Order: sequence, then C-alpha cells, then structure tokens
Amino acid sequence: MGQGKAAEMFTKLRGLLMVAPPIVVIALFVGFPIVSGVMYTLGHTGGANETIASIAQHQHVSTGGLGTLDAYRDVFGDNQFRRSLVATIVVTLVSVVVVMVLAWGIALYLRLANNWVAKTLAALAVVPMFIPVVIASYAILTFYAGDGFLKTMASQLGWSDAPVLSYKMSAVALGSIWVSLPFAVLMIASGLAGVPNGLIEAARDAGASMTRTVWSVLLPLTLVPTVIAATFTAIGILGSFTLPYIVGPTAPNLLGPIMANTYSAYNQPQQSEVMAVVVFGLAAVAGVAYVWANFRAAKRSGATR
Amino acid sequence: MSGQQVRGQSAVGQPVAGSTAKDLMYRVPRPSLGESRSARVTRAILLGMFVVFMALFIMGPLAWLGIRAFSGTWHYPHLLPSAWTLKWWKQVFDDPTLFDAIKLSLTLTPVVTAASMVVCLPAAYAFARFDFPGRRFFLVAMFATNAFPRTGLFIAMASLFYSLNIMSTFTGLVVIQLIGTIVFMTWIPAAAFAAVPPSLEEAARDAGAGPLRVFASVTFPLAAPGILVAVILSFLAAFDEAQGTYFIGAPNYVTMPTVMYTLVQHYPDQVSAVFSIMLSVPSVLLMLLVRKHVMGGALAEGFQLR
Repeated sequence: MGQGKAAEMFTKLRGLLMVAPPIVVIALFVGFPIVSGVMYTLGHTGGANETIASIAQHQHVSTGGLGTLDAYRDVFGDNQFRRSLVATIVVTLVSVVVVMVLAWGIALYLRLANNWVAKTLAALAVVPMFIPVVIASYAILTFYAGDGFLKTMASQLGWSDAPVLSYKMSAVALGSIWVSLPFAVLMIASGLAGVPNGLIEAARDAGASMTRTVWSVLLPLTLVPTVIAATFTAIGILGSFTLPYIVGPTAPNLLGPIMANTYSAYNQPQQSEVMAVVVFGLAAVAGVAYVWANFRAAKRSGATR
Repeated sequence: MSGQQVRGQSAVGQPVAGSTAKDLMYRVPRPSLGESRSARVTRAILLGMFVVFMALFIMGPLAWLGIRAFSGTWHYPHLLPSAWTLKWWKQVFDDPTLFDAIKLSLTLTPVVTAASMVVCLPAAYAFARFDFPGRRFFLVAMFATNAFPRTGLFIAMASLFYSLNIMSTFTGLVVIQLIGTIVFMTWIPAAAFAAVPPSLEEAARDAGAGPLRVFASVTFPLAAPGILVAVILSFLAAFDEAQGTYFIGAPNYVTMPTVMYTLVQHYPDQVSAVFSIMLSVPSVLLMLLVRKHVMGGALAEGFQLR
C-alpha cells in the first residue's frame, strides 16, 4: 500500500486508532470485570472486588499466593450444582444436534428445490428472530403449560393425562431450539448458496447420487458455516438466562438462572462467579472449534486468491 | 471455498457481488423416471407433515399467546375462548408504569444504537480494509469476551459501576446495552465493507476523487445494506436486553422487557399477552425492513472472521 516505512507506519497506526473505541469499551466493561471476577473466585477479595465481597456470604478468602480453590470445591461439592451442570450440558448438546439437523434439512431443501414449500419452511425458520426472547419464553411457557395448546389438543383427542412440559427441562430444550433455529438456518443456507452450481452438476454428471453429492460436495464446502452455527448455538444456550428463567424449573435448571439465583437469593456472589467461570470453560471448548474453522477458511481463501 | 468468494468473485468466475442467496438458488432436476408413483406420494406426505409440524412448532406458541390477548373467558380444555374482549388492551394503556416503560425503552434504545454506531463503524472499516498488528487477536477477543455468561459478567461489573458512579443511572444502562451490540455493529459492517471490491474504490481514486469522496460515493452506498442490518440488529439487541437492564436499572429504570419479568409473575396472563404483542411490534417491523438482506447472507457473512 504505502510507499516507504513512514507511510506503512501510518497505515498501521490508523487501523489501530480506528479499532480502539470498541476494543477499549470491551476491555473496560467486559474484559476487566471478567478478570476481576476470576480473581474473586480464587479468593482475592480486595481491589475491584471489595464492594461485592463486603456483602457476600459464605465467602472463601485467599490467604496468600495464587489463591484458593475452596470456592470451586464448595460449588462442585453441591449436589444441586452438579445436577444443573449435567442438565446444562445435556440440554445444550441435544438442542445443538436438533438445531443442526433441522437447519441443515431446511437449508439443503432450499438449495436443491427452490419451490414454495422450501421458501415457506425457510420463512418459518427465521420467524423466531423477529421475536424478543422474553416474549418467546413467555409464549413457549403458555403453549406447553397445563392449560396450554399441547395439553388441550391431547385432551381433545382423548389423551387426558398428556405430560405438561412447562417448568421442565424439556420445555427449556424446546425453547432453546426455537430461539436458535434462525441463526443456524441463515448461516448454513448462506454457506450452501456459495457452492457453485457447476460443482453440483459435475458431481451429478459423474454419476454421483444426490446423497453422495451432499455428503462429498456440499457438506465439506459448508463445513465452516456449519461449525460457526453450531458454536454460536452452543454458546448461546450455555449462557442463556431469560428463557430457562421463565420456562424452566427452579432447580436443577440451566446454570444461567442458577447462578443468578445463587447471587440474588442466596447472596453468594463468589459461588455464582465460580459457576460463570465453569460455563465460560464449556463455551471455550466450543469457541476453539469456531476460531479454528474460521482461520482454516481464511488461510484457504488466502491461498486461492 | 469460503463465503469470501461468494461475495466477491465466485470460483466459477461469475461476478456475484451483491447478489442474494436467492439468485444463486438452483433447481437440480429430479430423477423422476426411476421413481414409482407411490414413492413420490409418500415423500409428498412426509414433507407435508414436516411443514405442518414446523408451522405448529414455530407459530403455535405465538398464535396461542395472540389469542390470549383477546380472550374474555377461556376454559381448559377448549381450543378457543368462549368470550372475546378488548379490556386487557385498555388496562395496559391505562397503566402508567407500563406506559413509562414504553417511553423509557423508546428513548434509551436510539441513544444506545447511535453510540454503538459511533464507537464501532470506524473499527468495522479498519478491520475490513487495513492490516495492523493484533488485528486477529482483537477479532477473537471480541468473540471470546462475548462468550462469558452475562450473569457472571453483571455481578463482576457491579463494583466497577459503583466506583464509576453509574449504577442505577441512564449512563449505566447505555453502557450495559451497548456492550451487547458491539459484536453485531463491528462484524457485520466489516464483512459489508470487505465485500466492496477494492478495484471500484481505485477506479474512483484514479478519476480524481479524494478519500472522503470515495468513501461517500462508492464504499458507503455499497456497504449500506450490511450496515443497515447491523443497525437494526443492534437496535433490537438493545431494545430486548432484559437481564442487565434489570440488574443495573431496577427499580428506578424499568424498560419494556424488564416489565415483562414482573408481568409474568404478578398480572393476569392476558395482560402479559397484550404487552407481549406490543413489545414485539418494533422487532417485527424493523426485521421486515431488512428481511431480504438478512436472508441474503448479510448476517451470515459477518460471522466469518477473516
């Protein structure tokens, strides 16, 4: 771009200056609290944690060195927490799998048979994006409630003791799928739209069946958007609060509402923060896949450019 | 073979910049010769069942809620109310708390969105066009910090908010909602800027246009749909933010979504239903405005880091 070192320096500096505002906002209001939150879980109650530590109960304070893991021991020793942790992992995995299957099915159908049925399905699948999560949660709660549609319909058909899903983990999973579907469909549909027709035709001409074409042409070429969709779905569900808070049971529930409850009802911010770190750890596992997929793709497209 | 080639130059050499996913759709001829009539019928039935199932799964809860907002008496197990009424709507409009919440939401959200644009759009351009040290690190850091559970973040933030004296203030609310918009407002416009072919900008420069002129008459108009999607998604993210707003603002500042928490617990179901419909109106209208671009890949592009 620039001629000479000075111009190059200027370009670099300009870029840094322009990205500084959001980076500073994130560093100050997200990065810094996360770091002090992690310090707090290790028993460091001074500095930025003083305010919160002064009102906390059942706190484990570090006596020196790197800190103490007592708060973690405390949290993991709690049966209720372990059950919620398992519930969180199971609901996340089940929801991600269902979302990916539905999204792939709809996106693939849209790509291969661009008819009104496919368009209707795609339009349906993005509807949840139009609805605030609070509203969606409330709508799902009433739909699967004791006097909700599912029970009513079952009773009309003569099945009077159909299960009530509201306030159960199944409703949380259904709600998570409902909320996550649009993003996954958009990601995968956009990825599939990027596969040139020529490649599909070539595979078909060479005698590959439709299934074979999907498996060895469309799937590999849509791997990155698929990984992105799966990661964001997983991270979104792991950290969700409003949906499980409104739709789910008191406990065990997803860790989002459990940590909020640990803070506000039991006044134990340290234990709550420990749970946040645990969920962050789970999200990191999914996040690594996302970063890997992105940079693999960037490297590939860089090589072909 | 990533989305990069889709927006810019495709692998087979067709210029597809700005094309929507729809244009790229392609009908693969179905081999119907070897297929029996009954297999076709079975498939049509299965497909029909799937469409009905999806319609029920997605629209069912919303329709159920919609009916409730107009129901006078509705006893289980009847599929529809036996009496209809508009009195719940009147109750919502007459309730000053609910009205104040609507007012606060409609002032706060535009402020947050504007702040987000000022903070993020230059950065989006820089991420798209300039190479600088730490570029990748910043992109990943934005994503990573976003993955920390909000509840844990809000608790850890409390100290900072107290020491900055912005707890329970308008400024505090702007900050808490702003951080939820940054990823949208940076990533999606960055992809939109990146999709503008540099050759077009060069051509304008060669014709004697200055940098600002190039940006205003070439780069910005081409990136505008992506920016609009980001603005609307950020607006909705801020408008819908409930947990942090409740945490920082309550009880002095109550927005529309935070009112819902109280409504669900303390009001008749029908009032919550009415309020739900009112709360959904801005989302539905704004999303309809950008539906085409969102479906066409503007959102999906933003989530592919480069």
